[in-house]
Amino acid sequence: MQTIEIEALQETALQSIAAASSSKELEQVRIAVLGKKGSLTQVLRSMGSVPQEERASLGASVNTARVQLEEALELRASELKALEQSAAIKAESVDVTLPGRSQPIGSEHLISRLTREIVEVFRGIGYRVVEGPEVETEYYNFTALNAPADHPSRSQQDTFYVHDRSGTESRVFGESEVLLRPQTSPAQVRVMENDELPIYILAPGRVYRRDTADPSHLPQFTQIEGLVVDKGISFAHLKGTLEYFCKEIFGPERKTRFRPHFFPFTEPSAEVDVSCGICGGSGCRFCGGTGWLEILGCGMVDPNVFGFVDINPEEYSGFAFGMGVERIACLKYDVPDLRMLLEGDMRFLRQF
Amino acid sequence: MKVSLKWLQTMVEVPKDLDAFVEKLDLTGTAVDSVHYTGARFEDIFVGQILVKEQHPNADSLWVTSVDVGENNLGEDGKPKPLQIVCGAQNFAQGDKVVVALEGAELPGGIKIKKTKLRGVESRGMNCSNRELGLGTDHEGIMVLPADAPVGIAFSDYAATGDTILDLEITTNRPDCMSMLGVAREVAAIYTTSYDLGRAMPEPPTQGKAEDFVRVSIDESTRCARYTARIIKGITVGPSPEWLAERITAAGARPINNIVDATNYIMFETGQPLHAFDLDTLAKDAEGKASIIVRAAGQGEKFTTLDEVERTLSTDATVIVDGNAASGTGASIALAGVMGGLESEVTDKTVNILLESASFNQGHTSRTSRNLKLLSESSSRFDKGVDDATCDEFSARAAALMAEIAGGTVAEGVVDCYPVPRKLPALTLNLTKLREILGADIPRSIVVNILRHLGCTLESAEEDMESFRVHPPTYRPDLEREIDLYEEILRLWGMDRVESKLPGGAERIGSRTREQVLTDKIGATLRALGLNETMTYAFASAEDMRLLGMQIPEGAEAVELINPINTEQSQMRMTIIPGLLRSVAFNQSHGVPNVQLYELGAVFTTSEGRKQPKEKPLLAGVLAGSWNRQAWNEPARTLDFFDAKGVIESLARELCIADLRFVALDEADAPWLANGQAALIRSGSAVIGWMGAIHPRAAEAFEAGSPVFAFELEVKALLGAAKEAREFVPVPVYPAVELDLALVVDADVTAETLLRVARSGGGALLSEVHIFDVFADANKLGEGKKSVALSFTYRSPDRTLTSEEVEKLHSRIVRKLEGATGGTVRS
Repeated sequence: MQTIEIEALQETALQSIAAASSSKELEQVRIAVLGKKGSLTQVLRSMGSVPQEERASLGASVNTARVQLEEALELRASELKALEQSAAIKAESVDVTLPGRSQPIGSEHLISRLTREIVEVFRGIGYRVVEGPEVETEYYNFTALNAPADHPSRSQQDTFYVHDRSGTESRVFGESEVLLRPQTSPAQVRVMENDELPIYILAPGRVYRRDTADPSHLPQFTQIEGLVVDKGISFAHLKGTLEYFCKEIFGPERKTRFRPHFFPFTEPSAEVDVSCGICGGSGCRFCGGTGWLEILGCGMVDPNVFGFVDINPEEYSGFAFGMGVERIACLKYDVPDLRMLLEGDMRFLRQF
Repeated sequence: MKVSLKWLQTMVEVPKDLDAFVEKLDLTGTAVDSVHYTGARFEDIFVGQILVKEQHPNADSLWVTSVDVGENNLGEDGKPKPLQIVCGAQNFAQGDKVVVALEGAELPGGIKIKKTKLRGVESRGMNCSNRELGLGTDHEGIMVLPADAPVGIAFSDYAATGDTILDLEITTNRPDCMSMLGVAREVAAIYTTSYDLGRAMPEPPTQGKAEDFVRVSIDESTRCARYTARIIKGITVGPSPEWLAERITAAGARPINNIVDATNYIMFETGQPLHAFDLDTLAKDAEGKASIIVRAAGQGEKFTTLDEVERTLSTDATVIVDGNAASGTGASIALAGVMGGLESEVTDKTVNILLESASFNQGHTSRTSRNLKLLSESSSRFDKGVDDATCDEFSARAAALMAEIAGGTVAEGVVDCYPVPRKLPALTLNLTKLREILGADIPRSIVVNILRHLGCTLESAEEDMESFRVHPPTYRPDLEREIDLYEEILRLWGMDRVESKLPGGAERIGSRTREQVLTDKIGATLRALGLNETMTYAFASAEDMRLLGMQIPEGAEAVELINPINTEQSQMRMTIIPGLLRSVAFNQSHGVPNVQLYELGAVFTTSEGRKQPKEKPLLAGVLAGSWNRQAWNEPARTLDFFDAKGVIESLARELCIADLRFVALDEADAPWLANGQAALIRSGSAVIGWMGAIHPRAAEAFEAGSPVFAFELEVKALLGAAKEAREFVPVPVYPAVELDLALVVDADVTAETLLRVARSGGGALLSEVHIFDVFADANKLGEGKKSVALSFTYRSPDRTLTSEEVEKLHSRIVRKLEGATGGTVRS
């Protein structure tokens, strides 16, 4: 074997390397030259038969050839790899505008979502959430809330009554001492009876009123009521709290106004309006031309109520408020028909 | 409460700007529900005066006039400027007062006034005729008004043609506002001005004495605080004069005859309900006197009210009795405070009147009208309370009115039964406390001024003391405590003037209970798993349980409504599933086949002897159709039993419930589920709930197409089994060995059995075993057989296992499985 032959071998190998069109072909070229039975390896193996005096120079030539071939292989390998990668990338390219694989994520009911948002606003200013039974006694729902015995709201036109299985009869036909709560305030009475002062609570929950379901009425809906009992609580605190709430839920640009009203549970009492979000307060069809939307009722806890739960009104004062979540949902989302909230229509539910 | 502004204006000064007036009422606590107008409004039509009348340059029959309309037309200098109007009428002279329609006015006949040119001369309005104003047919010329007509005022005000009716919402604490007088007082208090009754009644001719004609007694003063009777004799029943008919019509009543209308008029005017009996229908005693007794009705007593309906009364009702009537105990002649009787009503032939003016108890009146479903203008006032102090005064006014409009004479005096005159509370107002509760620094002078305008009498209010005494007027029974005065001061001073503040207190923390945290987590997990939250009615039909095939638990019964709206919602639900099935049906019938819903809500039961029912929160879900619609990159994944089960397993994982078990339920246990796809869900010994495929019969009963997979879990049991977190287990360090096994077993051998046997045989070194394939093939495996492929993962926490020990252990498990199940290893 002569140096010249090695050079020829190297030349052929370099050509093969250059001609290899894939990593796989290149590997075959490598094996053919540098593998165990490769042509150059064979040369090295046959060194023993090379005369002593030629061995050094031949050895050097072989080594040089090997180094150069390895370099060439490496270079070509990286070239091919890059080519192959880009080919692979090209082959795998997709239409990125096609939809992704669907993940079945569910939605929260609009009323739950709003309830949670409202609860979070109040949790942020130190309120906790309490719950109570939906079927209540007349005592917790009316009497302890200072509703006179013959208050019209007790009428069976307005309140659902259920059969009292304890055997007690009511003085008015068709009424009983057990009823579906038309408000969540009885839960507040239970808290005032049982819990330590001060009290900062929110009572969300399902309530019932004897209205036939139509686009703007439901016989069952969701109410959130709040109660604060502490030392030194004033009407100014009630205003501040509800103004904060309205800005958080409806937006900082919205205004509120308090209109005096009457509720047996509170005194002084007020209804709260928030400025119309559609017309900004100038009056439109949405707000009936008044520029205002009624959203809640509130007031200072009536001292008589404190009397029922043994809180000293000389020491403590408080305020209470209540709002209908469905009404707020209508104001925020303009839901055209409240009955949609109870139909379970997937096309409706999945919008929220 | 309907308030005619035309009427109100005779009692108190009402602001001209209606919008501002309405807002002021709203902001002081009298909500204005609606405003509507009656009669012609004559917008943009005013009284004017002809200043100049000149011949039209181009037409002999026309006049060019310059008409003064006061401030209704202003020049550039801001001063009143006369209008140039071309007019064709011949019946007027310079200086005459006329009716001028300005540009923009729309006449009742439909003509719209525009700026125009008539034969080359500009005309900016119209001098109107009777006919053009819709007030008659006279079109000979324009309407010429008397010389004293004030220039510039609205014609509607001048002619008083129209009226504005405000419908006010009177809150139940303000019975005093259920009258024109009350509203006038309220307006006077708002604007700190004065008021009176308006119309003066002429002094009536008198003859005889009331006490010679009637005696009155009240059986129980708790039913009737005061009863007064007046006698009016020799009246002629006929139609009411126009002014009276107009006023009571505006108030919402229908004119009937002058006597009945007079009682209604005084009721609307003063708030005192009155009733006129035909005196001659009442029996007389030896002295010729009628006897009025106020007492409880007899239990089951029948009474025909003047609407000709026979009513059955209870002793809770109060009746007015003709004490001389033939029957021993007297005969009822009126249902106190609610409605009079047919027998004694005023008819065309009535000549002599017994006029009742009384104060009946709120509770009895309210309950009676609710029991009989009979609401009247009278009962709606007694419901809220009528001032007993003024029964006599307003009765005298009514008698005078009757004599004025129906003739006759009024007997002198009144028979007044007032057993226990009401004591008025004397309140103490503490200014410091007032300012503390309101959070507003309202000056003493304003507080005093407000209370005085409300009709309160004050003692030592001007002195520089923290407290003073307040005597509220009789017509304000709601002012019985100091706090009631605070409310009055706040509403009249202005709630908007209170400066807003947030309560302080650094120790408050808005915390959540464990139950609330976990309940939120349940919802979040179910949504992450693809279920959509919904809400359905908590009401149920009495048929729902039967249609579903569910049994009412032993000893329990449904919570039934006494006054349901309809039969479909006559009781409270005992399961959420019917509501969800109806939602499935709703979706299916609206072209939405894929339904994944859940609801968290209460169900209700009661039992004999229980007052308040039991309420139990449940978590229910339904799955129907597929998870998804077919997409370009995946087929529709049709929902089956194991999707529902997977949801529950994942939920249990989130709630860290380790020992969840599913036990097959047979048809007798769960008739609402399809046999073979029904499971009871347990955690340890606690039953968490059930799941399965709803029986097609049950689904169909709610119009839902099958299959529907459903579950219903008890939230309390779920939360009871839930843990806050799992224990930490070290991550494996040593390698695992995995071996697979296919076992042919009888079809009824459960996966649970196989896994349990495998786990008990594998001990601590078997770190995991799971089923990765199940198939049945009669040809390959034989009838009634199935092949279950299990994958075993062996691992030691403290060393690398040798293949010998793994094989030994694996063989032992295989032998145990074969032994326990009678299965064979499939080669």
